[in-house]
Amino acid sequence: MSKIACQDTLITKKRHLSQDYFSLTFSPVSRANRCVPGQFIHLLLPSTDVTFRRAFSVASVSEDGNELEIIFRVVGRGTTLLAGLAKGDRVNILVPLGNRFTIPRKNERVLLIGGGIGFPPMMFLASRLLAKGHPADKIEFFYGGRSKDDILERTRIKKLGVRFHPVTEDGSFGEKGLVTQPVERVISEATGEKMRMYACGPEPMLKAVEALGVKYGIPGEISVEAPMPCGFGVCLGCVLPLKAGGYTRVCTDGPVYPFGEVVL
Amino acid sequence: MTPDLKVQLAGIEFANPIMTASGCCGYGEELAGVFPLSKLGALVTKSITLKPRLGHPPPRTAETASGMLNAIGLANVGIDQFVAEKVPFLATQKTRIIVNVAGSKLQEYIEVATRLDDCEVVDMIELNISCPNVDEGGMEFGADPKMTEKSVAAVKKVFSRPVIAKLSPNVTSIVQIAQAAEQGGADAFSIINSLVGTSIDIETRRPRLTNNRGGLTGPAIKPVALAMVDAVYRSGCRPPIIGIGGIADYRDVVEFMLCGASAVQIGTALFIAPDTPVKIARDLKAYLKRTKLQSVTELIGKVKRY
Repeated sequence: MSKIACQDTLITKKRHLSQDYFSLTFSPVSRANRCVPGQFIHLLLPSTDVTFRRAFSVASVSEDGNELEIIFRVVGRGTTLLAGLAKGDRVNILVPLGNRFTIPRKNERVLLIGGGIGFPPMMFLASRLLAKGHPADKIEFFYGGRSKDDILERTRIKKLGVRFHPVTEDGSFGEKGLVTQPVERVISEATGEKMRMYACGPEPMLKAVEALGVKYGIPGEISVEAPMPCGFGVCLGCVLPLKAGGYTRVCTDGPVYPFGEVVL
Repeated sequence: MTPDLKVQLAGIEFANPIMTASGCCGYGEELAGVFPLSKLGALVTKSITLKPRLGHPPPRTAETASGMLNAIGLANVGIDQFVAEKVPFLATQKTRIIVNVAGSKLQEYIEVATRLDDCEVVDMIELNISCPNVDEGGMEFGADPKMTEKSVAAVKKVFSRPVIAKLSPNVTSIVQIAQAAEQGGADAFSIINSLVGTSIDIETRRPRLTNNRGGLTGPAIKPVALAMVDAVYRSGCRPPIIGIGGIADYRDVVEFMLCGASAVQIGTALFIAPDTPVKIARDLKAYLKRTKLQSVTELIGKVKRY
């Protein structure tokens, strides 16, 4: 069984990305360099207003493995409290948690699909694949949001050199419509090339991506979220039903699942 | 001299009074990834039933003010798989092992306890006659003095080592239930299990748990648990008490022990800070030193009442 570090860390950088979106960098973080794309941290807020920790996908780790970044959107009590913290504030985190994305073969075209606040693990995966030598022109980065303000870190993603496909529902940035449109276009334009999909985002998007995978016979994985008390497999609170019957613990058996495994 | 954290319950010695509460540490494997289980006085497993149980559909938990609600539904691997796959791991751990046993019929408790009697690694069993989250059995057993006595006595017949009765707070008189359990031969009490509660989402107008209600745990229930430990301790029952309910730090442990607990269990706090038992043991030692006590047992029942 994997070792989990339960540790105090400091917020060393806070960036307001747009509207309700923030980036926080924590340091020092022991085992940050062991974090791989798909994994998450479980963060304890310094407040009695919440009982549970809050889970966040890792958006990046620094090369020296000392810093870890998350990107989040303010949606409720926990994220409101988190957004109110400042540089220098102390939080406690559990790290690293969860399973990981399968690393694709270098000859595979990789389709990364992020919807809304589901994009951080896709960005982490893109940079890790590039670092491992995956050709940049074989990485397609699809990023969907409601409008321009929902498409974050645009310069950072462009700098990666991957093929960037921003999509907004109102057409205020990139292509107008749903993220699955350009995904399907890229799939149908590809000729005899092996492909693999990775997705993180809202449930309807994950369902649509899985459907594309089935339609075109492309393997892939989705990263899901669930309300999560403990984060390390003991409370059985974050379960999702499996298509094969029974339940799976999102925190330890997931959050990454192959297409078709969990009931969304 | 370093203060001594050792305690004795039902003739068994524990390295310290800190145990994990059932349902809060699975079968120990995950927690062993956070700290060596030898730091615990005892590990108490999830409830084991005769047949495997999948548990309730999600959502199974909800956050509440200073606590949480859960209705997991006694999800567990069942006694066969527990003995085959979980006991070998537990056997390698240098801590006392207490297995929590649940069922919907008396015969199920008896069969599970019979199987556990053959597992030498199991030091004690804890009878869950107080789960609020299953339709039959569980709390029904623990709410009726006659059924309580009968279940404890039946399990005592087939399990040769000490038996703990885990008592429900959802009763008119916990003292009456404790006396019945003692009559049945209980060697110790775990006080308390969770309090029945619920929570509603006002937008969807649905309960936040698919089970419609669940068990309230966490710091919110500590005052209730303390009062119940105090009541049972003062009632003159002989079996020692393991205090449970919202314990998050050493101060909580000291309170429970002053009210009469000989040991404690940590539940919800493990979800929030899994290293809580290690910190408590360290801080408890410092407290004993600061208050010039040689042994943690000197705290038991020593509350100065008005």
